[in-house]
Amino acid sequence: MLHTYKNKIRAFYHKRRRMPTFSEIALLCGYKSRNSVTKLVRRLAAEGFVRKDPKGFLLPGTMYGNMKVLGVVAAGWPSPAEEELLDTMTLDEYLIENRDATYMLQVQGPSMKDAGIMDGDTVLVERTTNYKVGDIVVAEVDGEWTIKYLRKDRTGFYLEPANRDYSPLHPTSHLNVAAVVKAVIRKY
Amino acid sequence: MLPLTIASLPRAMLHIDADAFFASCEQSRHPTLKGRPVVTGKERGVAASMSYEAKAAGVRRGMPLSQIRTVCPDAVLLPSDYETYSLLSLRLYNIVRRYTPDVEEYSIDECFADITGLQRPMRMNYARMAEAMKRDLDTELGFTFSVGLAPSKVVAKIASKWHKPSGLTIIQGRDLHRYLQHLSVADVWGIGAKTTAYLDKLGVHTALELARKDEAWVKYYFYKPMVEIWHELNGRSVIPLETAPKKSYQMIQKMKTFSPPSNDPAFVYAQLAKNIENACMKARRYNLAPQRVIFYLRTHDFDHRSIMVKLSRPTAFSHEILTCAEGVFSRIFHTGERYRSTGVLLTHLADCTVLQQDLFGVTAEVEKTREVYRAIDAIREKYGKHTVFLGSSFLAHQHKQHEGERGDAPERTRQLLKGETKRKRLGIPLFLGKVR
Repeated sequence: MLHTYKNKIRAFYHKRRRMPTFSEIALLCGYKSRNSVTKLVRRLAAEGFVRKDPKGFLLPGTMYGNMKVLGVVAAGWPSPAEEELLDTMTLDEYLIENRDATYMLQVQGPSMKDAGIMDGDTVLVERTTNYKVGDIVVAEVDGEWTIKYLRKDRTGFYLEPANRDYSPLHPTSHLNVAAVVKAVIRKY
Repeated sequence: MLPLTIASLPRAMLHIDADAFFASCEQSRHPTLKGRPVVTGKERGVAASMSYEAKAAGVRRGMPLSQIRTVCPDAVLLPSDYETYSLLSLRLYNIVRRYTPDVEEYSIDECFADITGLQRPMRMNYARMAEAMKRDLDTELGFTFSVGLAPSKVVAKIASKWHKPSGLTIIQGRDLHRYLQHLSVADVWGIGAKTTAYLDKLGVHTALELARKDEAWVKYYFYKPMVEIWHELNGRSVIPLETAPKKSYQMIQKMKTFSPPSNDPAFVYAQLAKNIENACMKARRYNLAPQRVIFYLRTHDFDHRSIMVKLSRPTAFSHEILTCAEGVFSRIFHTGERYRSTGVLLTHLADCTVLQQDLFGVTAEVEKTREVYRAIDAIREKYGKHTVFLGSSFLAHQHKQHEGERGDAPERTRQLLKGETKRKRLGIPLFLGKVR
């Protein structure tokens, strides 16, 4: 039951971009008395699902599954004190630095398998002119995107695969680097 | 020659305009398209946007597909992918907002920004700021933008057009007259064909001639909008930025083309009904209800047939407007003709959150109907517009809007990532094709 209530509150927040008031929670969950709502809110607040601001209005807590980053797990349970020192971030914030320059790409083929980028993976890339030798970059070769390590030798920049079966690509004229790989996503 | 003003940039207004926006979006994520003539709008049957290569070959906006194939046989025709275009459009505004909070989202591919007084906090002068913005936009979006910096919005718009593509033009007050000297009044933002013709009669042909007239003259012959343009042309900023997002509409229009053209009254009526349903749903979303409705049909050879209906009370209920349509449809539909599109225009929109009590006690009935539509809208919002519809639109939902290649879906909707659905996708643009 609690699960359904949580979903309803989450859906309300998603749709209206604000937390419901107590009377709106009563409507959402089908409660008749304000007291029942207070009890529910107390329970959700104890879990951290919602929080209250100094005036008593509700704020979203871990509603969207902000996972707690725990302190160093030495042995046994992490101490709650350590937990409080840390702020949390969403997976989006963790994976994406400059959102407005970030794009996705689907990988095909095993040319980067030793770098942990497999056939079928999705990579997050950032369009930037600020790339360094050693970065995994997305470059344009013969009118197609290719993903490789950026290397440099006496003749200039070239692209190196992370797979022994493939050979490095030396650009004939100009090497056009479009973006730098920032993260790999693999969903099972 | 006497300058119009001796000031440089009393206000620093920017106009930022993407070069061939839709076509550029396609080229930037698909390297095979770079350097080739790309045209979007395949699903509409006419060019919506074309790359500079296609422009050079003679393709113009609104040109039908068959004509494009003759003037530019190697053109790449693509269906519009509005999902990606709007994602990139939001990025345009976001990047400009890094420099200033005052941004007017003028349209999907252009915006105005006011950077007056920001030199000190940004530690750069106006020109450097415009350059930096352009650099960020060009690298992060992967295609070019044209930027104009000037003392007013009207002049900023002239500046951004001055060098296209990928230009950065700064027009300072004291150089203004040089730019306006040979510019036709028709090329000034806000001056349309009728005003141009009228100005022509008054002996005014260039923007400079207009700017040199005195205020009394402008006020004698024209109304307020023109007076504002006149001030702006003289380097005085009087048209404010509209930074608030659009909350309401003056009118709501839904029009859809279908192919092949049809002369089956039931099918054409179903197409009209589908538009009516979609227009009404949009009106209800903004709590608006029209007092007048215009139905129109477009024939195979681009002729219009239209009719206007005045409603006895404002309503955004699809079935009520359909009843009106049923009554007048035979007056615009002629059996001898083939039709290629239908449309509906809802105007004189009234706020429908308050309901007037009326003599015949319809109010209670309306309240009930409103509940029904609330449920219908909720279903359509959640599962897609075509989940539930009225029987009248049935025939239009039976077929794809276009037969043959015009029915092609954009590549992004075919290349779904694991976990994405038809209705819900990640809010990050996808480079097309696979990367090896």
